[in-house]
Formats: sequence, structure tokens, C-alpha cells
Amino acid sequence: MTIVAPSPSSAPLKQQDNTAFLNRRRWARAGWLYLFMLVMSVLFLGPFLMGTLSSLKDNPNEYPPRILIPQLRPTFFMRAYQLGVQGAGDGWNGGLAPGNTVTFDVRVRNPKGAPQTPPTASLFVYQPTGLVNLARLAQAKDYSVLKVAETGVTGDLHSYRVTVTYAPLTAQTGERVRGELLPPQGNDLMATVNGKPVKVTLDTPQAQAHQYDLQPTQPVQLIRRGDQYFLEGPLMARLPLEIDVERGQVFVDSTLPPSDVQNFGRSLAFRNATPGILGYTFNNYRRAFQETRDAGTGRSLFLSWTLNTFAIAILKVLSAVVFCSLAGYALARLNFPGKNLLFALVLFVQMVPGQTTFISNYLVLKNLGLLNIWGLLVSGLVTAGGVFLMKQFFEGLPKELEEAASIDGASPFTTFWRVMLPQASPALIALSITTFQGAWNDFFWPLVVLKGDASRQVLTVGLQSFRDVYGGAGDYGLILSGAILSAIPVLIVFLIFQRYFVGTGADSAVKG
Amino acid sequence: MNQKGQTATAYLFLTPFLVVLAVFFCFAFLRTIYYSFTDFNLFDPPKLIGLKPYADVLGDSSFRRALANSLLFAVITTTLQTILSLLMAVALNRKIRGLSFFRAAWYMPSITSSVVITLIFLWLFQQQGVVNYLITQLQSVWPLILTFVLILIAVQVIQVLWEKSRKLPVGYFDPALLAASALIALFVTWGLSAAGVVTAHEVVDTVSRPGQITPFLYQYFADKWLSIGGVQIISVPLMVIIFMNTFTTIPTLMLFFLAGLQNIPTALYEATEIDGATPFQQLMNVTVPMLRPVSFYVITVGLIGTLQMFDQVAVIGNAAPTDTLITLAYYVYANTFKSGVAPVYMASAAAIILAVITLLLVTVQRRFISPDAV
Repeated sequence: MTIVAPSPSSAPLKQQDNTAFLNRRRWARAGWLYLFMLVMSVLFLGPFLMGTLSSLKDNPNEYPPRILIPQLRPTFFMRAYQLGVQGAGDGWNGGLAPGNTVTFDVRVRNPKGAPQTPPTASLFVYQPTGLVNLARLAQAKDYSVLKVAETGVTGDLHSYRVTVTYAPLTAQTGERVRGELLPPQGNDLMATVNGKPVKVTLDTPQAQAHQYDLQPTQPVQLIRRGDQYFLEGPLMARLPLEIDVERGQVFVDSTLPPSDVQNFGRSLAFRNATPGILGYTFNNYRRAFQETRDAGTGRSLFLSWTLNTFAIAILKVLSAVVFCSLAGYALARLNFPGKNLLFALVLFVQMVPGQTTFISNYLVLKNLGLLNIWGLLVSGLVTAGGVFLMKQFFEGLPKELEEAASIDGASPFTTFWRVMLPQASPALIALSITTFQGAWNDFFWPLVVLKGDASRQVLTVGLQSFRDVYGGAGDYGLILSGAILSAIPVLIVFLIFQRYFVGTGADSAVKG
Repeated sequence: MNQKGQTATAYLFLTPFLVVLAVFFCFAFLRTIYYSFTDFNLFDPPKLIGLKPYADVLGDSSFRRALANSLLFAVITTTLQTILSLLMAVALNRKIRGLSFFRAAWYMPSITSSVVITLIFLWLFQQQGVVNYLITQLQSVWPLILTFVLILIAVQVIQVLWEKSRKLPVGYFDPALLAASALIALFVTWGLSAAGVVTAHEVVDTVSRPGQITPFLYQYFADKWLSIGGVQIISVPLMVIIFMNTFTTIPTLMLFFLAGLQNIPTALYEATEIDGATPFQQLMNVTVPMLRPVSFYVITVGLIGTLQMFDQVAVIGNAAPTDTLITLAYYVYANTFKSGVAPVYMASAAAIILAVITLLLVTVQRRFISPDAV
């Protein structure tokens, strides 16, 4: 917008004064505009940024909500990595493997008059609560010993070191391999190593003591010596540590900040003392994949949903590109009886709510045995909106193109395929993107068609079941991370093809 | 190419579309109408029972609630989103640097799925959630905000009077003076707060003395209603959804308006400027009439979309009492998949009513709001 000078009669000013005054006003106006845009950006992005940030927290429901969270501090990030290395030799995934020793430091203020005893440390049982109850996995508590020692005093600040030692269950040496236990055969404990079943030998009393409490699917570490596999110990995904300080003492800090504080600040729970980076900062994201397993197959439900959503979105894009452009071309460029009626029908279809037709459509798909993603595809093979978009585009192309082709003796299909369709690439990209976005975000129709089987759902419906299962308990860590993850692909598509998003619809709207 | 050849080719090209249209729209639409006059329940073969399904549906109190909720939601949301997005588009209709970045940032709520947004909003609007926390913070800094605003007004008035005495053509909303006033007000408020003259309220669990406030812990998704004269008009959860829906649609609609605004010749504005029109007069007499086709499109899309509101209700599910959020679309779905013998005939009747209302509203707005569009 141009700034128009005020009418000269209003102020008898020197020309120079007036220019400075107007310049000042223009700058100020731009400043306010940018401030406004910044405020709007915060408003529109705020919920997503806050949700993303909180999905990293141990407890997204913390009150008051914090913006600076330990999960994103480089210090703790590095420490989580080091603890993961100590626990299982894996700085990313963390965990606890046999033969490792983990040290965890705590500082406590013991004022004069308060008990000077070291804090008590213990390991506790932590079972993930998944969509289905997993078999009870081995707990660090039952396999490791723990020691607390004072390491230094400055004033009334006392430093303590908690040492967790997980002694191997066998004294054998050899190559270390990882595997998963299988249901026992007769008296033999079996495991799969690299896909093939092997017999596990329990050669020490310590190992034999555990032979009945280990569950199938338990990951284990074995020592291979020739053809024999000796059980070195189960692999633990986490090391849940609790530290209690005496009354009168004050907890100051520790290697990692506690994930939960109870008992007036005296009981500190560390859900995982050997998290690794993924287990510390991206714990909820890892949980979204790992703790949502199908009861029957053990496959990650979240992964299945993502793959299903990708499959249906890509199939729909392909079918829309072919069939919508064919139909749009016919409506725009060919003459045939019933054309106007058909176009009126296209407009009508866009106005009638999907809920009006879904009962019959559901029954049709049910009778055809297509209550799966193929049914989703068949019923959405060509959308009226897509046909409308392509028709509008083809109408805008010059007639000469077709005439030239038809003089050269091209058949209508060749004209369409070789001459017209290549011209339509901007419209096709716009159509692909809107179709992808629509298929990715669709909720009502998949909810109807994919009723029942959890592993056949798409992301939107799956996420809704997250809320059904966890909403009451408020496991928003899982819900938020699932929501953020499912928004990422469509966000990437948007960032790449931004201008096509902005283009669709707006142009046809302006045309009226 | 002769006419006959064209007809054959056209129908060949249209075959997939016509098949899908015939099976999944025409047949489905007619069958729903048929079901709405029968006693269909998904299992037994349907028998015609005349208008009874419509009578049953109209007699169902939860249908009447769904109807009221749907209409309120559609009308309020469409109005809000149209006006706000128009105003935003007008504010942004300038050639400035970085606009594409801001557009991209604002577009974010429109590209993510309604399920994702609803889940995030459920979390934001919890009892001990971010929204309640922000309201608590706002309540506690209320004295500071009030001080800031009062100082801002005072400084602005003084500045404008001073400039006027120098015979400069300034208005009371002069942006440059406003920026200076805001800076001065900020520093003074900060100084007063540091000196302890004006202080923020203290947030404590129980109020025992003046200057303290309790944390705001309002349960949004509960059975809370705005009622007039004992009649429950609109529920608080529905208002939250209206807010959320407006939030997600504004950026898209704003882009439609922006595209429309670029097509208005600047000469029109210049002409009104010469005639001495105020910005408000320009908006009402140039912008709004010139944007009629876009407005028509935006309102139509808005009405069709909002009348079908389903996702949010289904995702919130049992987190809110049924009556507070139930819409026609959800009523249709819930009655079709009711456990036991589902009253599908009632769902069908409701679906037909929903379709009729949609068509009616679109026609009405076409007739009265933008008579010369299309």
C-alpha cells in the first residue's frame, strides 16, 4: 500500500520536515506490522511448539509448565549418552547389559543438626504400560547390586556416588552375542540368535536361579564358545533408580535430574538412570513405537499405522492424478450429451455431507468384503473436488494446442496424454498435494471402514484410540509424541511444495 | 473430430468417475433416503414405515441438542472465521519482506489433521494445562498491564497534543508516536514494578489477603453451559471447539482473501483517498464489495465444512459429556454403530435432515448475502 501525502492545506511546512515526518511514520508502521505478524506467528505456531516441547518431557502435564526443559540441555544430553555407554555400551538407546557398572552422582546439602547419613538408593520395578500388556520383562532390580559411597564434602554440600554393578551370570569368555528367549523345549532353555534357535546353557548357580523367572521374548546376552551358548544375563531396557534423602537434608542435583519428586522433595525417582539420548530426550517418541504392540504379532502398531497411511495416501494420489485429469479433461474440452447435468452433479456432490452417504457406502464395502484400505481406495478413487480442479485448469489452456494435434491426426487419447497432460503439471502437483494431505488427515471415513482390527488402522484413527486408552490416565507424553510424529510427513510435503498449497483453491475462488 | 467420436471418448474418459459417482454417491444418496422411511437396523430387511423415522428423530432430545449444536457451531464459526480472516488479509495486503515466511508459519494449523490439533488442544485445555496456567499468569500481572496501558494512553495524548501544537498532521493513532509511547510506558512500568510501587499479584492456593489470587483451574471439557433464562444455549466445550476451529481455518481463508485483494485495482483506493475516505470507509465501500466472489466462496466452504463437524467430537469422545458436543454428523455415526440393534433408520433420517440443512443454508446465503455472485 502506498502512503499518500496529506493534503497540502493541512500544514504549512517546509518540504524537508514533511519528508522526515512521513519517513518516520512509514518506518513505525512497518515496525508495528512486523510486531503484529510476530504475535500472530506465536499464536498460530504456539500450540504446536508447546506440544512438541512438552512431548520431550518426562511428564508433559507438569504444572506450572516450563519452557526450558532438562531434556534439551546439552549437559544432560551428553550425560544421558555417557550413562547409556556405561550401562549397555550404547549411547543412543541406553539400557543395562550384563558385565557393566554404572555410576550415578548425587549432591545433597546436609546442614548442621540434620542427619549426616548418606541417602539410601534402591532400584524399583518399572513396567511399561502399553496398549497391550507385554510379558513381564526382567528387571534390573533382580540382577544387579548397588552401593552408595561419599565422594567429597565442601561446606555442608556432600557428594555421593551410587554404583550399580550387573555381574555376568557366567564366568565363560568368548564372543558376546545378543538374542531373544523362546518358549523352553522340554528341559532346554532356547533362544534365537540371528534368526536361528539355539540351546542356552545355564552353567552357574546364579544363572540357574533365574531359569524359571525368565519369560519368552526376553532379550538376553549370551557368550558363544564353539557351539555352546552360555547365558550372560538378560538385557534390561532401563535402570529405574530411586534415591531417598533423610529429613532435614536437601537434594541439590544429580547426574540427571529426577523424573519424579515425591514425599516433600525427599524421594527422587529416576525412571531410567541409563537412558542414552533416545531414552532421555526422545523417550516418548520411542515409546510411541515400542509400547504400542499388537497382542498377536508383537509388531509395533504405530509403525503399522504409519505404513498404512503412507500406502493409502500414495495410492489415492496415483488414482486421483489419472482419473481426475481424465474426467476433468472430458468435462472441460469434449462435447457430449449430459455434460451440464454432470457438472451440476459435481457441484452438488461437493455440498452434500459425507455422513449422508456413508451408511450405504459402508454396507456396499461390507458386502464386497472390502472393509480395509482397498475399500478406502475404491470409494475414493475419483473425488468430485479433484475433477472440478482439473476441469478449471484445462479450461484455461489454449484451444490451439488440441487443434494442432488433431490436424496431425492424433487420436483423442494421444492428444490428451501427449499434448494436454504435460501442460497440466502445475495443476497435477496441486491435485497430488491436496489429495495426499486429504488422505493423510482423513478421519471419518477410515474410522467407519477400518473398524475393528487395530493393526489395520491409519494414523488418525490410531491416535484417537491412544486418547481412548490413555486419555483418562492422561498419558499425554505418548499422545503428544504420536500426534507430532503423525504431523511430520504432511509438514514436509507442505514445506517442499508450499507455493502449490497456497495456489490451490484461491485462484478458482477469485474467479468466482 | 466429429461429435459422435467425441461423445464416445468423453464417456470413456469419464467411466471411472461415473462408476464411483453412481455407486458411492447417487445410489448411496437414494438408498439413505429410502432407509429414512423404513425401520432398517443393519440386520433385518428394511420395511417401509412412512414418516415415523422423522418423527422419532425429531422427538429424540439428543437429536434436538445435536441440531442446536450444529447450527450454532456452523453459524458462529463461519461468521468468526470469515470476518477475522478478512481483517487479517487487509492488514497484510502489503508488499513487505518476509511475508512468505509468515504465511508458511501461519499455514501450519491448516495442514495438520484435525485429530492432531484436537489432541494438542485437549492437552492445552486440561484442568492443570497450559491455557489455565496462562490465564493465571495474566491475572497475576493484571496491575502491571493496567499501569502500562494507562501510561501508554497518557503519553500518547501528550505527544499528539505537542505535535499538533507544532502544526504537524498527526492522528491519535500515529504509529511512530505510538511506538515511542509504548517504549516509555514499558520503561516506566518496569521502573514502578522494580521500585515496588506496582506489583504483580501473588499466586497461592488459597486467597487470604488482598493481592493474592488462586490459580485458575477451570475444567473446560465438563458439563458447563452458557444459559439464558434457564435455557442451555451453548456449552463451554463447544465454545472451545469453535475457538479451535477458527484458529485452524483463519490462515487458509486469509490466503483466499489475500489473493482476492491483489486483484482489486489500486486506482480505486487512490480515488477514495482523494475523496477523503477513512480506512474504515475504504474497507466497507471498496474492499468488501470487491471481494464478494471470494467471500461467497469462503462462506460456502465454511458452512459446508462446519456443518459436517465430526472429528473433534469423536476424538474428544468421552472426555466431555455427550450433550455438550454432539453434532448432527456425530449423531448419524453414533446411531449407525450403536451396540445391539442400531436405529439406522433414525441415523438415515438425521443424515437427510443434515443434507437438507446444508443445501438450504448454502442457497440462502447465495440468495441474500451475495446476490450477484456466480
